[in-house]
Amino acid sequence: MSTLLFLTGEAFVNLRRNALVATGAVLAVFVSLALAFGALVFNELVRINTLQWQRGDHIIVFLKDEGGPVAHDQLLQEINEYPEVENAWYLDKAGAYQEFSEMYSDQPALAATVTAADLPASIRVELKDISEYQAVQFRLVGHPLLRRLSVFSEGIERLLSLTGVLNSIGLGLVVVLGASAVVLIANTIRMAIYARREEIAIMKLVGAGNWFIRVPFIIEGATVGLLGAGLAAAAVFVSHGLLERIPTDILIRFQVDQSFLTSRTILILGFGVLAGFIGSSFGLRRFLRV
Amino acid sequence: MIRLQEVSKVYDGGVVAVQKVNLDIRKGEFVFLVGPSGSGKSTLIRMCLREERVTRGTIWVAGKDITRLPTWRVPYLRRTVGTIFQDFKLLPNKTVAENVSFALKVTGCPRSIIRRQVNTVLELVGLSAKADRYPRQLSGGEQQRVTIARAFVNRPPILLADEPTGNLDPATSVGIMRLLDRINRTGTTVMMATHDFAIVDAMRRRVVQLDRGRVIRDESASGYEAPSKS
Ligand SMILES: Nc1ncnc2c1ncn2[C@@H]1O[C@H](COP(=O)(O)OP(=O)(O)OP(=O)(O)O)[C@@H](O)[C@H]1O
Ligand SMILES: [Mg+2]
Repeated sequence: MSTLLFLTGEAFVNLRRNALVATGAVLAVFVSLALAFGALVFNELVRINTLQWQRGDHIIVFLKDEGGPVAHDQLLQEINEYPEVENAWYLDKAGAYQEFSEMYSDQPALAATVTAADLPASIRVELKDISEYQAVQFRLVGHPLLRRLSVFSEGIERLLSLTGVLNSIGLGLVVVLGASAVVLIANTIRMAIYARREEIAIMKLVGAGNWFIRVPFIIEGATVGLLGAGLAAAAVFVSHGLLERIPTDILIRFQVDQSFLTSRTILILGFGVLAGFIGSSFGLRRFLRV
Repeated sequence: MIRLQEVSKVYDGGVVAVQKVNLDIRKGEFVFLVGPSGSGKSTLIRMCLREERVTRGTIWVAGKDITRLPTWRVPYLRRTVGTIFQDFKLLPNKTVAENVSFALKVTGCPRSIIRRQVNTVLELVGLSAKADRYPRQLSGGEQQRVTIARAFVNRPPILLADEPTGNLDPATSVGIMRLLDRINRTGTTVMMATHDFAIVDAMRRRVVQLDRGRVIRDESASGYEAPSKS
């Protein structure tokens, strides 16, 4: 126990002596982890925003008047049984007129020219996964009751593939930047070993075991990782605070949950320490033959 | 305490530094290792510390065959053998007291014991007043006394010294030799490589003379040069 305390003290003395290199390493780790953290937040923002877009009516099936409500109800039941469908409901002509009047409430002149009879009844479909809209479309095409099919947004598919790409890029960034933090720390530790090689030789000569020599370096690496990660977390918090000032828009949200930030902060800090351990272990690997 | 059997050392590149050396040093002995530069004295000492591996032969230190010691046991060997070098090998960023206590810290010794032992041994070498100085603030002789304190602080049964007086003036050297003599009288086995004939002649101890890696003389209570055969 007192040995561990002593070795920790050694690690901090060495960090202070090596302040310049250590600071450089902390800053470098900070930059890569801040970018990695930023990428995580960005991914979350993309997820939140597409989630919002995903809400609501994905497909509107406008119906012909033939058959009346009975036939319409039959089709509604049919659609509700499609595996891709989360929920579907029926909006009759009166409902359609009400919706229409609400949509154009600022244009009463237009609303006045239209009556309930002019508007078709429709079935509104909410999908389990919006990327499956084509399957539903395929099932409905050619149905005798179908007047017109409207997919909520024609850009959905493009949007989805775009967010997919953004997500992959973000994840790729996280992996690469995390790895670079490990490599940076490994490099720093190797330089520290090189700078202290004579001292290490002396320590071995008076009987210091391998772990006695290694532990201070490992603590050093973990400290660098933790400091870099701490700075990264702070930077992300600050920039998220700035983003929060942007007023919320119906289309885009710039805020992520506090719980998301907290959990990812813990993750990043943990990763910083882990990167320190792994990095210093790599740095120490090829040395210490007696 | 130290036994060498048919020990040879060939360095990479083919330099034969030690050749078929047989040596048996008993507990409590004081042995001078003499011989011209390049005769293999340092190599022999380094092999006893497992800083170099033997090419052939066997070395026993404190009853253990150290040529077949697994690497992870080497630190334990070094804790049973105190070492003193011409260039001191002190840690520059540690004070005198910290340098000395380091040899106990590596063994996981409790702090209270370390403090007591360090104080005792610094008193022995006469450096109690300078315990908080750094090596660069000490004279060569004082630095060498620190290394002796460090080598002796955990009471090892064996002390190996490679030209401990090599950088010191004659008067200072005498002080160092007095210390080594005192340590030897506590029962510690001492092997010391030296070029300092005045010391060897004055102390009249066992002398092992090397020449081109071979033992050419091994006499007790002898001097630096072989006694002339009259
Ligand atoms: N690491 C090494 N690699 C190759 N050759 C070496 C090495 N160390 C020593 N030698 C050679 O081994 C021989 C013995 O060297 P050693 O240092 O043991 O001699 P020494 O008796 O201690 O000399 P000195 O009195 O000058 O200290 C020399 O020829 C030297 O050049
Ligand atoms: Mg030598």
